[in-house]
Amino acid sequence: MERRTFLKQSVSVVIATVISFLGSKTGQAAWLAKHFASGQFNESMAQLFDNQTITESSQINIGLPKIAENGTVVPITISSELENIERIYILVEKNPTPLAAEFELSAEVSVYITTRIKMAESCNVVVIAKLGSQLLKSQQWVNVVQGGCGTG
Amino acid sequence: MSSIKIRSQRLENYTEIKLLITHPMENGRNRDANGELIPAHFIEELTISLNGSPVIVVDMAGSIAKNPFFTFRLKSVASGDNIQASWTDNRRNGESIDHIVN
Repeated sequence: MERRTFLKQSVSVVIATVISFLGSKTGQAAWLAKHFASGQFNESMAQLFDNQTITESSQINIGLPKIAENGTVVPITISSELENIERIYILVEKNPTPLAAEFELSAEVSVYITTRIKMAESCNVVVIAKLGSQLLKSQQWVNVVQGGCGTG
Repeated sequence: MSSIKIRSQRLENYTEIKLLITHPMENGRNRDANGELIPAHFIEELTISLNGSPVIVVDMAGSIAKNPFFTFRLKSVASGDNIQASWTDNRRNGESIDHIVN
């Protein structure tokens, strides 16, 4: 390839990346500081769900270790056969910032998500799924061997 | 080098996407060796787009582990489709990567 052509193409790729990056930020719900405020678990739940009814569900599956040696890296898997899950929230009951992540999902997504969370101490990890006006909940207790104040 | 590593595997009923992002994810409560607080520095938002349309948006803070790792599954991805991952953090840094599915 000619050097000039190569340079031209590289530049256009970079520009396209920058434009699409900026473009992807527009028109979406902004990151909400209040959702990620430090505080008690109950305060976070009230902030997020405004006292709506939340139903325990066996259709939201959580995979977590029963014992986590290291609270700074706790692998979690969330899966569900349910269609039309719009949002998934991961909350760690005893973390200084209880909300770990909030996923906004399109219909293109088949619900199987893994990530790694921090846990300050042994507690429940609570997963809430939002389908229309319905809120479904599943939770699992994790024993954290080594947590500490910096982890949550 | 990009802070984002992305892999995809097309399977029968879905395409699995794995993402690894290099980021400290400091929550502002840790102390360094001198006892000074390390300032908060974490990714706030990660967007996954399929051929230009956002399909997953993840909002997060310092309770996601250092060097965030994610697996997602998408239903109808074809060979040659473009998957874009882009993140922004609380210091308004960010990066974006495009990945063409095999």
